[in-house]
Amino acid sequence: MRVILKTRPREKPRIPIEAEEIIPQNFLRKNDMKVFEGNKERTLEDLFFVTIEGPAVSPDQVEVVLTGNTGMIKRVGEYMNAGRIIIEGDIGMHCGNFMSAGEIIIRGNADAWLGREMRGGRILCEGNASHYCAAGYRGEKRGMRGGIMEVKGNAGDFTAEYLSGGDVIIHGNCGDLPGVEMRGGTLVIGGECARPCGNMTGGTCMVFGKAQRVLPTFRSNGSQDMDYAGKRYRMNLFRGDVANRGKGTLMIRA
Amino acid sequence: MKIEDVVCPFCGCLCDDLVVQVEGNRVVNVENGCTLANEKFMGDHRLETPIRRSGKKWERISYDEAIAETAGILLDADRPLLYGWSGTYGEAQTIGVHLAEVLGAVIDNTSTVCHGPSIMAIQEVGHPGCTLGQIKNRADVVIYWAANPIEAHPRHMSRYTTFADGFFVKNAFRERKVIVVDVRETDSSQIADEFVKVNPGGDYAILSALRAIVRGKRDIIPPNVEGVSREQLFRVAEICMAAKFGAIFFGVGLTMASGKYKNIRNAIELTEELNRHTKFTISPMRGHWNVYGSNEVFTWITGYPYAVDFARGIAFYNPGETTSVDILRRGECDACLVVASDPGAHFPRACAEHLARIPTIQIDPHVNATTHLSQIQIPVAVTGIDAEGTAYRMDGVPLRTRKLFQGSHPDDLEVLEKIYAIVREAKG
Amino acid sequence: MPGILIRNAFVIDPLSGVKGEVMDIAIRDGKIVEEASTDAVVIDAARCLTLPGGIDSHSHVCGTKVNFGRYMSPEDMRAGRTARKGVMHVTSGYSVPTTFGNSYRYSTMGYTTILEGAMAPLEARHTHEEFTATPHQDMLANTLFDGNWSIMEAVKEKDVKRAAAVVAWTLSAVKGFAIKLTNPGGTEAWGWGGDVNSIHDQVPHFGVTPAEIIGTMIQANELLNLPHSVHLHCNNLGVPGNYQTTLETIGLVPDLNRDRQSLYLTHVQFHSYGGSTWRDICSKSEDVARAVNNTPQVVMDMGQIMFGRTTTMTADGPMEFKLYMLHHNKWSNHDVELETGSGITPVYYGRKSLVNCVMWSIGLELALLAKNPWQCLLSTDNPNGAPFVKYPEIIALLMSRRFRENERKMIDPRTEHFVPLFAIERELDWYEIAVMTRAAQAKALGITRIGKGYLAPGAEADVAIFPLKPDEIDPSVDYQQVMAGFSRTRYTIKRGRVVARDGEVVVEGANSTIWTRANVPPAYDMSSDPEFTKKFEQYYTVRMRNYPVQDIYLPRGVRIDTEASL
Repeated sequence: MRVILKTRPREKPRIPIEAEEIIPQNFLRKNDMKVFEGNKERTLEDLFFVTIEGPAVSPDQVEVVLTGNTGMIKRVGEYMNAGRIIIEGDIGMHCGNFMSAGEIIIRGNADAWLGREMRGGRILCEGNASHYCAAGYRGEKRGMRGGIMEVKGNAGDFTAEYLSGGDVIIHGNCGDLPGVEMRGGTLVIGGECARPCGNMTGGTCMVFGKAQRVLPTFRSNGSQDMDYAGKRYRMNLFRGDVANRGKGTLMIRA
Repeated sequence: MKIEDVVCPFCGCLCDDLVVQVEGNRVVNVENGCTLANEKFMGDHRLETPIRRSGKKWERISYDEAIAETAGILLDADRPLLYGWSGTYGEAQTIGVHLAEVLGAVIDNTSTVCHGPSIMAIQEVGHPGCTLGQIKNRADVVIYWAANPIEAHPRHMSRYTTFADGFFVKNAFRERKVIVVDVRETDSSQIADEFVKVNPGGDYAILSALRAIVRGKRDIIPPNVEGVSREQLFRVAEICMAAKFGAIFFGVGLTMASGKYKNIRNAIELTEELNRHTKFTISPMRGHWNVYGSNEVFTWITGYPYAVDFARGIAFYNPGETTSVDILRRGECDACLVVASDPGAHFPRACAEHLARIPTIQIDPHVNATTHLSQIQIPVAVTGIDAEGTAYRMDGVPLRTRKLFQGSHPDDLEVLEKIYAIVREAKG
Repeated sequence: MPGILIRNAFVIDPLSGVKGEVMDIAIRDGKIVEEASTDAVVIDAARCLTLPGGIDSHSHVCGTKVNFGRYMSPEDMRAGRTARKGVMHVTSGYSVPTTFGNSYRYSTMGYTTILEGAMAPLEARHTHEEFTATPHQDMLANTLFDGNWSIMEAVKEKDVKRAAAVVAWTLSAVKGFAIKLTNPGGTEAWGWGGDVNSIHDQVPHFGVTPAEIIGTMIQANELLNLPHSVHLHCNNLGVPGNYQTTLETIGLVPDLNRDRQSLYLTHVQFHSYGGSTWRDICSKSEDVARAVNNTPQVVMDMGQIMFGRTTTMTADGPMEFKLYMLHHNKWSNHDVELETGSGITPVYYGRKSLVNCVMWSIGLELALLAKNPWQCLLSTDNPNGAPFVKYPEIIALLMSRRFRENERKMIDPRTEHFVPLFAIERELDWYEIAVMTRAAQAKALGITRIGKGYLAPGAEADVAIFPLKPDEIDPSVDYQQVMAGFSRTRYTIKRGRVVARDGEVVVEGANSTIWTRANVPPAYDMSSDPEFTKKFEQYYTVRMRNYPVQDIYLPRGVRIDTEASL
């Protein structure tokens, strides 16, 4: 089954839409899906032109395609556990929150909290991701716990904050403090970043570009050659953050 | 008439020993107050009646008309924002939160532009603090980090720290060491025993280094960290660990520096680390006099100290998303009620511009920068001068402000209750 | 108001000697009366269990520390979220819910009166503000005196009367109900990062011991003729081997009052540990229960823990720091000048943790081993042992050995080597549960005098009708039904008004705050005592005149006046 959701023009296009019901499994049985525009409850049809092509008997056979002005739509793919969502353009905050399986592909840019507290599955963002990509929620001790997050462009500040499992791969640059409070999992940064892994207690972070302002509380642990994605790199190794328990690994290209 | 033990409604110190001379409905003299307090009491020039923008001019309208129109605007909105609250008292803030619940609005207070990051840090690691008297009576080491109390909280040092003699510290000035950490010299740094000058944006690294030193990892510290020598860092750590009772105060300089709430978190974790060796506390220097009260009231009703979004009926909180600066910058909200604060003066330009585009209503005694962005302004009594109610000091101590005279304006609570009544009626 | 006539109620009203009779209850003008008016609204209770409104004699629901628990825990607010609905405000939170959340949940469980376990006098105004936002229960505040400088000075001088005078002034100033001592002396030592480790340790600088503070305050309490006794959180909470401290403390208590206990020991589960480390911790509930059984002048509450996550919060600052060192979770501390301390840290009690399983067993053992249910009240020290919404499960565990045996299979199998729980056959009955959840609380708090805790004519019409038919169900088998029944009343009636029905709150609520004023002779009036006022102005950071809580904070205050014997 292929579900195509094309946004309708709105009178107040800056008002965010919350659409956590847009997940593949819901299109199998639900026919009264609700979305919110600001504080007003709307039906899916109020805000989207909905086209459904073909049948499906299980959620993994459902592909949802969002097109149009989708940059203000929040929480698409929240709790998704199967199937695929393709977003042709930009997507709003909290895309793929808590997702446990399935796939989300974003052709444009993603707003903040992409894949927040993700547990499994895969998110691919072909453009840039904003702050708190693959991070957690306020007050919680664990952020992303499993799955794969891949961003082809850049990511903002606090990327993979509280990362505790899974892989986060940012091909471009990261902002300030990627991997801050990290306690597990792997964070790969293809480009530059600033102050990686502040206060980390576990996990591994690799930076292939320049790391600005590396914190003084990382202990240098020599260097070694490493193969990554079919290439060989010389990496400087650090253990840290010794301001804390210092059980994490930070590698920065020599 | 002379009124004693008056609570000052200016900053988070909430000094309660002012002596105020009142003639009719005017304050004519203030004793014990700082210059900021004097200005607040004496330079009080009110707007007299509600006003509404009409073309390029303002027209006077009645309170009933202003209130009805405000309620109508809020009811029509799909994403109303209720902002401010720090300059009014708890009972009015309570009605504000109830109004937001019924409207499905976002309600936020001025923490969003001051100590919001401190709250976010506390939500990650907690807050080892105390009331100010604990510091006055016991502290032998006081650290001001990115705070300049002499300018922003003029009586903080004389009432609670540097010059305040206490039970166990009989001669504070001699027995109490003061450390100031800042990116530049200030009035406060000049009276410090130790001044640590940090590169701008270097606080996080300095705090990490101090934590490592306290954990016994001196060997890792490079000769210079963000403009501070290793020797000075060692010395500061030693002073802290040798203290019988240490107290850190931090200001907005730290919350707004790069890394924001992570700086505060790091400072709190340093404090926690120090508690393994001695007694240490940490406290934010809250600015607006009752901003902490708005955090308290919001919290007991909604569960969150600021930035609460009721769009979905339930309370949702996520700074960066539900904070007013972010909502305005993204142009989300379609109506705004400003109560007891001045976002026109404190918000980034893009936010102020959005306020001017949408119907903005201000409930405030004075003409200020926000007036110029508003459609309607409703003047009210000033809490602590001609209205009374509960306020929370920066350390959480609640006090009741006094009403010094009967003025001619209604107070925030009366106006808000009327708006709330109309909205409730309309919502059934 | 037309009043209410409850017909066919299966009533247990221990204070009136009713042990399970089908009868009618008439209500008029907020009181229980002999006869209903002719236009009374009739409620058919259909032989359902009908009890006086529930009273929680030790819970943390309002005030600085509780609100800080909320403030620092947005993750806790992700549970328990409800939207505004009818008269109900928005609620959030599980272990530290919003005030309305607490009030609605208590109300739907039939609770109509709550004592807030710890109020710092300096911050009393805050507690009272939250009381008015907890509208479905009448509220009382235990007032903290554990680290009070003026008290310790009086103790040092062996001047019981002066201690009493300080208590009288403070309770009246802050509109408090009773004397609370939390780790007496320990909170002052914590001002320097220390603690006291036995009731005979000296408090730094003040030269008094916890035993002296406790002894003096018990005497002072009786000099003031306060309705409640001293309410004590013993020293060494949560420390392996602390049962010795608890036994020594119980040994100190004189029998000074004919109508009630002379000392109330709170959350005794946390104070009944044997062993010397976390590795060999074991239950000493038998020793503690024996001491309580032999000491009729004390009453305790359980402080039961239940498995799951919660937030611990207490005025016992040093204890919270120890807990933080153990769990490395977030930690808040808040010392209050000249008075007390406090701390907060979240915890998770796990069935896989042997220590937690031992703790869980101890609470239940205390209730099952205490011979007299009037001496052991049901509590979790909400939310320290568990949020109060777990009470129905605790009731079911106490009423059903089968339930306990089923739980035994789920917990750490080593537990049984460290606790006597599974050898205890006793199953509590409906009457005992009624005693432990309302009647004994009313008696221990001394609030029967204002009509609380019973259903005879003249009493406040606080009534809970549960969907449980005692003549049809066997609690030892149908424990699931017991749990469900106590979770949700059919009707909760507060001061003659139906406030909750079948789990929904139906009116806005308007509670009272109950406080005490002990009237003392002028010579003992601290407000004009030169030394007291001088020290106040010197060491506090607020003016003495700005300290007392104004009447406006108690819109429906109920004052209990006593005449001090000074």
